[in-house]
Amino acid sequence: MFDLKKYRKKSPWILHYNAGSCNGCDIEILASLAPKYDLERFGVLNTGNPKQSDVFLVTGPVTFRSRERLVELYTQMPSPKVVIAVGSCTCSGGVFRDMYNVEDGIDNYIPVDVYVPGCASSPELIIDGVVKALEILEQKSKEIELPKKLFGTIKEEEGVLNLREMALSVAQKSEQINAQKSEQNEN
Amino acid sequence: MSKKIVQIPLGSQHISLLEPVKFKFSCENEKIIDVDSDVGFVHRGIERACTTKFKYDKIAYVVARVCGLCAITHSLTYTMSAESLLEGEVSMKAKYLRVLMVELDRIHSHMLCLSHVSENAGYEALFMQIMGDREPIMNLQEKISGNRVQFDYIDIGGVNRDISLSVEDDIKVSLKELRGKIEDLINEFENNYTLSLRFKGIGALSLKEAQEFNALGPIARAAGLVTDVRSESNDLPYSEIGFKIVTSSGGDIYARNMVRLHEILNSITMCENIVSGIPEGEIKTKFKGKPNGEALFRLEAPRGELMYYVKGSSKPMLDRLRIKTPTFASIPAFVEIFKGQEYANAPAILASFDPCMSCTAK
Ligand code: SF4
Repeated sequence: MFDLKKYRKKSPWILHYNAGSCNGCDIEILASLAPKYDLERFGVLNTGNPKQSDVFLVTGPVTFRSRERLVELYTQMPSPKVVIAVGSCTCSGGVFRDMYNVEDGIDNYIPVDVYVPGCASSPELIIDGVVKALEILEQKSKEIELPKKLFGTIKEEEGVLNLREMALSVAQKSEQINAQKSEQNEN
Repeated sequence: MSKKIVQIPLGSQHISLLEPVKFKFSCENEKIIDVDSDVGFVHRGIERACTTKFKYDKIAYVVARVCGLCAITHSLTYTMSAESLLEGEVSMKAKYLRVLMVELDRIHSHMLCLSHVSENAGYEALFMQIMGDREPIMNLQEKISGNRVQFDYIDIGGVNRDISLSVEDDIKVSLKELRGKIEDLINEFENNYTLSLRFKGIGALSLKEAQEFNALGPIARAAGLVTDVRSESNDLPYSEIGFKIVTSSGGDIYARNMVRLHEILNSITMCENIVSGIPEGEIKTKFKGKPNGEALFRLEAPRGELMYYVKGSSKPMLDRLRIKTPTFASIPAFVEIFKGQEYANAPAILASFDPCMSCTAK
């Protein structure tokens, strides 16, 4: 069977978004994908499509106009997903902190899993961050399975958890219980 | 076929774009008939912060963050305009070291652009190859300044780090290797079908249009317009180190690639000349006073003329800082080039402009 879980771990796809950075960190991300550092040996592939990506690489301190797009891209990514903030200005605002059009770092808008420091971060740091993020990604996929206790069963379709049906079965159960209770009360 | 006009948006987030910029193409069948561009996604307000938050001697480090690719040109242009308002003299050695870094930066920026062009031509392997060839230059920059991208190398009065003999040898070796590789690349870009025939006549800008729409940098020089700040001013010792202006004709993507490649060769020559003849002297001298008056300064960034206007009144804070960047000035020419082209060529044409949005929006 097509096992998405396995491929997600072996070949995470990244989505890169520039939320107002100076390009310094962007070219270092490119450099880390290129031959010398070769992030692609971990199976990492750069995509332009949020619906297919697992890792969200953000650079830049989030300008006023890019925040909607940032949040939208984040919500369009399927879970489990990890967010990496690349560069000092992405983590905290950096030099751009308190400028009038800047929102001081992406963690005001979306949850961040890995912070990569440096202005500009070197490719080594970026690779380190991505590898850390992969661990977190795996952990997150496991966490999604935790509700098993609550739901009793896991419904999987093509390797993806069908949370909706799992939740429905719980809802039906509780409805039944409620109905029984109300019957008893009437009696 | 119908004559319906279709609107196609490109951006603000797109795989062929490194930065957020939005183009709205109005297309009739396959032809682009009009373009609307929106460049303000990365506006941060750096000019304002430079007059309210940072003192004049820190601004060189702040304006470097306008753009990571031509960071050194930004800080150098600011520093030189501030120095013209202060009392003091920069030593010849510092000037040579500054030019060395600017030219290394130009090499790596042009190589990045070329790799993007080849990627957009569907030539992924060449993209990877050029990115790999670019690494030695990044290494040199790290050895000279301590950082790969944002060097923070230039300060008022000179430069922050001296160059050692072993680094000079490294520079010579790496540049010699690079020259061979660039010559191979020129051959590739001239004779490979995917890169040469495919790009001849695409995205062309005539000499008249280049003058009319005020094109700058490699775009203008590819159209045959002789404009290069390096030959027009003598604030930096360009004439001593063998600068030659590179022009071409045709103004299409092919000509732009050729201009960039030959400029890289010229920059390599200049760097070699600098390294073999660095004069003796201090790397940093003291400057007295606070900036007073107005100064306007131009330098040639990898993408064209960069201009700074500085106004101060003997206070630690400047009164006004204005940055005019090459991409911003070239937008009318961009729009003109896009008109009449096929939509399928749009990403390749865009990559050949080498646009820098964080410069444009600041
Ligand atoms: S951390 Fe520094 S180099 Fe990186 S995007 Fe921000 S300002 Fe640019």
